[in-house]
Amino acid sequence: MAKSMEELIELIDRIPDEPAKPGEFILPELMAIAVAHEVRDDDIVFAGTGLPMVGIMTANMLNAPHALLIYESGICDGKTMHVPMSVCDQRAANMSSTLGGLVDTFGYYLQQGFVTLGFLGGAAIDKYGGVNVTSIGDYFQPSHRFTGSGGNSDIGTMARRTAFIILQEKRRFVERNEYTTTPGWWCWDFKTREWKPKKEVWKGTPFADCGPCAVVTNMGVYRFDDQGIIYLDSHHPGVTVDQIKENCGFELNVSRVTGETRHPTYRELFVLREFVDPELIFLPAKSEYPAAIQSLIDG
Amino acid sequence: MPRIRGKAKTAEILTLEEAVKKYMHDGIVCAFSGFTGFNRNPVAFAWETVRQGFKDLHVLDRHGSVCTWLLNAVGAIKIQETDWMGWGEMAGKLDVNLERNYKRGQMILEDYSHGAMALRFLAGAIGSPFIPYYAPLGSDLYNPDYDALGRAGMRDGQNPRVARKKFIQMEEPFYGDGDVVLLPAARPELAIIHVAQAGDKGTARWRGVGTIDKEIAFACDKVVVIAEEIVPESDLRKQPESNQVPYFVVDCIVEQPWGAYPSAVPFYYDYDAPFMRLMDAASRSEEELKKWLDEWVYGPKTWEDMIDKLGVKRLLDLKADSVTGYSTRILRGKKPAPRMKMPLSVARSGY
Repeated sequence: MAKSMEELIELIDRIPDEPAKPGEFILPELMAIAVAHEVRDDDIVFAGTGLPMVGIMTANMLNAPHALLIYESGICDGKTMHVPMSVCDQRAANMSSTLGGLVDTFGYYLQQGFVTLGFLGGAAIDKYGGVNVTSIGDYFQPSHRFTGSGGNSDIGTMARRTAFIILQEKRRFVERNEYTTTPGWWCWDFKTREWKPKKEVWKGTPFADCGPCAVVTNMGVYRFDDQGIIYLDSHHPGVTVDQIKENCGFELNVSRVTGETRHPTYRELFVLREFVDPELIFLPAKSEYPAAIQSLIDG
Repeated sequence: MPRIRGKAKTAEILTLEEAVKKYMHDGIVCAFSGFTGFNRNPVAFAWETVRQGFKDLHVLDRHGSVCTWLLNAVGAIKIQETDWMGWGEMAGKLDVNLERNYKRGQMILEDYSHGAMALRFLAGAIGSPFIPYYAPLGSDLYNPDYDALGRAGMRDGQNPRVARKKFIQMEEPFYGDGDVVLLPAARPELAIIHVAQAGDKGTARWRGVGTIDKEIAFACDKVVVIAEEIVPESDLRKQPESNQVPYFVVDCIVEQPWGAYPSAVPFYYDYDAPFMRLMDAASRSEEELKKWLDEWVYGPKTWEDMIDKLGVKRLLDLKADSVTGYSTRILRGKKPAPRMKMPLSVARSGY
């Protein structure tokens, strides 16, 4: 007999908060939890659709219950019961503080400087954290055309810090993007046509120190050094540093690797599977719990 | 655009067919309400536009939607001046119809960002010719070489709805706060806005997010409101703080139940993700797309006929819960939605 949600809520604190073993979780779960770990309890978070949203919802239920979630269609502090498929889903608006529109979220909240963490996707990223969601090849005759900025370039440059989720392939991890939608720590100064640190291009604005802080891929977690250059922080279980270097289009700094990406804990997996995405919209499948955990759940 | 009007407009109530016939024309610059393909897209209006065969449209708004998907499916859009060209259920993926038309050189794409487009419409709404915005300096969005309308020779001042420049970067002159980008106001001719309720005089109300629909209503010269229901104006005035669009900017009201399907109207019906997945699948082959259009656009005699084809079961599943505003009966992923009483974050930690 399936348990009610109330009974499942009672169980959360009894599920051990210990790292799961390899094979007990799948990659999207690892990535979603890695996103959740980036969220602090006092963050005001502005996140995009998909795994970023799943990750911050998980954080809101566990490690960052007071983080305020902004969804770009106009939602302030949505408290979701069912995972939204889009940032304008009525599910995301549930029990929110106020509802407005894009002028509220991009103007009153973002440009006004309230947002401390952005969480976004991207098609390609450069070694300075600049992101391309627009086109590959000639801009006017592209070999690949993507959706275009949406909120990516606004959030990625004006949130205090921004993290990205990106599928890692050699052609997606590049020295310099063919089209920079969202500037990273280095970008173009179109007045002089020079490639410069963002701090100089944005000098004098309130956002000169805002920029990318982390990247979560299917292979590892990355951070940025003082020069604004990306480095590998941890590799996912089952992935070697050499494999990561092979899937990177530039000379990657691997001198600061701390080891394996922290595995999700059983409690985190329980919340993610039973409360965040039980409908399996973003997670591809529901994995089985190890016998000891399952017997706790079955009670 | 800013204009002095002698008096308030008087909204007329028309049928869907009449409204499209009267307010659309070839080459019109227009904006559609809602957000992505999920929320309050005026789909019935776009659907009827396809049936009446209008073409060379210049869509100026911030999103790919079910409306732009339909119009791109028949190659009706010539210019899409926007910032996000995914659509609906396929969020994050490009509209395949658009990609096909673009790669064939049949249409122009002009890129901005969500924030930029929201502020362009805010400027349009309040009668300001332009508005300053920070983001994103150093992005190729503001690369002077990447001005699609300029490249097409359209920024010569001949068309009052196309700005003479895509943007101007300048030093902020008042407080010394670095460089800003000046963005031209958005000034389309026609706003098409899907709402939950419209009063018989034109006052309009929706529930859920506002996206930039109020700004669009004021930025455009003409406003067509498509409503799930037309109600007595007196009823909407009992709670005026819940209304968003005042009647005096509305030109035309159309009552069209289920008129935003397959997008959602919060508290009326949910979005139909499986149906949108089928649309996306059909668009991947021109032959399949033609079949889809024949079946769902050209086949039905009326929009009611189109909705009737869906069957009662599907409509019941999509019907929104009167408390949450969405449905928990529709299967969106691989498993049914759980029955929840309280968000977990609130249950465990309060607000």
